[in-house]
Amino acid sequence: MLFAMASTIFGGPKETPPQGPPPKPFKLPAPEDFTLPNGMQVTIVPYGIVPKLAVRAFVEAGAIDESGGQVWLSKLTASLMKEGTTTRSGEQVAREAAEMGGQLEVEAGSDFTSAGGVVLSDFGPKFITLLADVLANPALPAAELPRLKADLVRDLAIDRTEPQTLARERFLKTLFPDHPYGRTFPAESDLQGYAIGDAQAFYRNNFAAGRTHLYVAGKLEGDLRRAIQDAFSGWAQGSAAPDLPASPVKERSLQVIDRPGAAQSNLYMGLPVAAPASQDYITLGVMDSLLGGSFASRITSNIREQKGYTYSPNSQVSTRRRLAFWVQVADVTTAVTGPSLKEIFYEIDRLRKEPPSAKELTGIQNYLAGLFVLRNTISPDAIINQLHFVDSQGLDRSYLSTYVQKVMAVEPADIQRVTETYITPSKMTIVVVGDKAKIAEQLTPYQ
Amino acid sequence: MPITYYKLPNGLRVILSPDSTAPTVVTAVYYRIGFRVEPKDRTGFAHLFEHMMFQGSQNLGKMEFIRLVQENGGVLNGSTRFDFTNYFELLPSNKLETALWAEADRMKGLAITEENLKNQQGVVGNEVKVNVLNQPYGGFPWLWMPQYANSNWYNSHNFYGDLKDIEAAKLDEVQAFFKTYYAPNNAALAVVGDFDPEQAKTMIAKYFGGIPSAKLPPTPDLTEPRQDKEKTASRKDPLANRPALAFAYHMPPRKSPEYYAMGLLDQMLLQGNDSLLYQELVKKHGFTGDVSGGINSDLGDMFDYDGPMLWTASLFHDAGVKPEQILSAVDTVVEGLQAKPVDQGLLDRSVTKMRSSLYDSMAQFGGFGRANLMACFALFDDDPTRINSLEADFRKVTPQVVERTAREYLRKTARTVLLIEPGAAASPAAAQEGPK
Repeated sequence: MLFAMASTIFGGPKETPPQGPPPKPFKLPAPEDFTLPNGMQVTIVPYGIVPKLAVRAFVEAGAIDESGGQVWLSKLTASLMKEGTTTRSGEQVAREAAEMGGQLEVEAGSDFTSAGGVVLSDFGPKFITLLADVLANPALPAAELPRLKADLVRDLAIDRTEPQTLARERFLKTLFPDHPYGRTFPAESDLQGYAIGDAQAFYRNNFAAGRTHLYVAGKLEGDLRRAIQDAFSGWAQGSAAPDLPASPVKERSLQVIDRPGAAQSNLYMGLPVAAPASQDYITLGVMDSLLGGSFASRITSNIREQKGYTYSPNSQVSTRRRLAFWVQVADVTTAVTGPSLKEIFYEIDRLRKEPPSAKELTGIQNYLAGLFVLRNTISPDAIINQLHFVDSQGLDRSYLSTYVQKVMAVEPADIQRVTETYITPSKMTIVVVGDKAKIAEQLTPYQ
Repeated sequence: MPITYYKLPNGLRVILSPDSTAPTVVTAVYYRIGFRVEPKDRTGFAHLFEHMMFQGSQNLGKMEFIRLVQENGGVLNGSTRFDFTNYFELLPSNKLETALWAEADRMKGLAITEENLKNQQGVVGNEVKVNVLNQPYGGFPWLWMPQYANSNWYNSHNFYGDLKDIEAAKLDEVQAFFKTYYAPNNAALAVVGDFDPEQAKTMIAKYFGGIPSAKLPPTPDLTEPRQDKEKTASRKDPLANRPALAFAYHMPPRKSPEYYAMGLLDQMLLQGNDSLLYQELVKKHGFTGDVSGGINSDLGDMFDYDGPMLWTASLFHDAGVKPEQILSAVDTVVEGLQAKPVDQGLLDRSVTKMRSSLYDSMAQFGGFGRANLMACFALFDDDPTRINSLEADFRKVTPQVVERTAREYLRKTARTVLLIEPGAAASPAAAQEGPK
């Protein structure tokens, strides 16, 4: 029908797109790695002509180091670390970073706290000195505690009004019932009870050179290696990070969070899959891009471009340390909550039953090969994130240099096999945030 | 930064900026039609139309444009802003010709059906729901503030669109909108990345040269009257559970000394934890955890618009803190800048921050940020090389200009305040929280 319409307007046969010449070779930027005597690992990557430099320290300290009654203590500690050092006030830290054209950020995540910023290249050595002071000598001032706690209490309240956040919280809680990865929110009473001693102890127990990997990427100016040695050599090595492996739940459940009057239902569904170190991990990534993880993917084509049920469907393979899970997310109009799930499962089942055509697969492989170049060139922080992923998952750096080759080697039958092996509807956690009265009946087939 | 700028005989403005850092290339087409100027009975139409540009052209059926870019290893997007709508691809550099061919194909005309339109009305309806209608603080402040602070319809209507307007759009209206605004003489093409400019020129002439120009409609009067009385508006948000506050001031005319001074005032007042408002509202008073915003914030920056614009700041706070307390603290900071010429150290720091942020814009998303600025300067000023003189324009700002700008443009009587009041306790989110 579309073709007929086009013909009436323009007439004539269709042109085929010009292909262009063969691709130019792409060489990954070459990192320099070294370790300080105190165990801190360092990676320096020269990249680009824009005179900016990204400096990021990833410290093995995060939600994973919190006990059940300490949720967000890592966030509180990160906030306190921005409030000054033993020799600089918080305002001074902020001002000095701004004078270098940047900001000093400290952000706690599930496995790591990252600290650093992006500054004008001529200030690289100076910023490294400032960052070292913040990491090794934070004041963690008691006077700032009530204000920072009040901010976190407010953040918590606001986070809980966001439907997608509620869906994710329930999903993670279901996947990781007895592990810090499953604890998205603290109880407000716990948060109110955190004392300055708790944050100081969290810092003392978890922040140390031996648990830190510093990455520097961008246009390099000055002797950065020397600056890093001078700034960080005095930081204590500390003890190794404890290992707390998680075994995510792989069991079918449907969980509905009622949001009366909601105009949409927020779907959050998925299950654990092969870890980054597995042989199947790269194949899973190819499968994911074909199934739901790209604009032209099957699920997006179906529920967005054919049906108009949603604006923002997306699937992805998410990782924590040494594990991965696949999720499909979509915010769909309330009236088509059931039909959306039906189509998502239809597309999953189809890929479980039959391999994609070689043409469809080649398209996805080319996409990922191109995306790989973008991921490794688009910004200094993107380069750092690629390296940090490989290093933190315990992979060999050859993961990056062989990635494209491995993607291109995937066969249609491999896609079907990993879908069948890992994307098992009978083992999925399905969370729906929406107007229960309107969607309960639509959800009956998915109980 | 090397820039080649020329026009095709049909009026298409072409900007070429080679950079061989990475084997990638950005192809960006900017049409000088934004949501400011859309049909008055069809709010949200410019944005709905943007979606239709992905639904099919002469040689590329539905989904084929998207697939073409993806299969060639690239990413693409489009966006609708106050004064332009853009379409861009970031691809491996050997695929420049593919991108030029595809963009030219859809500049020639749309091949779309009722069914495509109905589908995208569904998609756009869901976009508005996920970002605004079903989201706490959804339109705060980016969508709502212009509706209160401005008084000319073009600047103050709901540009995301009322759902009933979006649903009422007709296929012939889509085709008419295309015919009116999507002509080469109303567009700019920017190419940034690893390519040979001479080869690019040949390809651009081949694919775009034959597209006929069109007679463009006159631009309506977009001016805003000088505001001389403070305005305060408040909105109930049944999905929210904490109050929020935003305030906005009107920008000086583009390219005036005061305009550049406002760019630096934004750096001094609002950008980063060293900023005056952060220090006052967050650190000194503890009213909030963060204060954010800027010029054309959430939709662009101080360079990619051409009409009346706002400088906006916003924050979330607790019920125990009254808006008057927050505004009085804001007044203290602003009055400090109005009372005397600004301290040279503070001014220098703002220039450094601006320089650093300009470099980020140039490098952003594989060179897309540079394409964005150059395409806008080509469309608005017929001069994409302005990108190379911005830093010097900011360096010309003196403490006296900053003081003068703060006095006129940060007048309390020129301010609009928007308050968000959490809705009734029956909100679903509150129910989730349980007893305290």
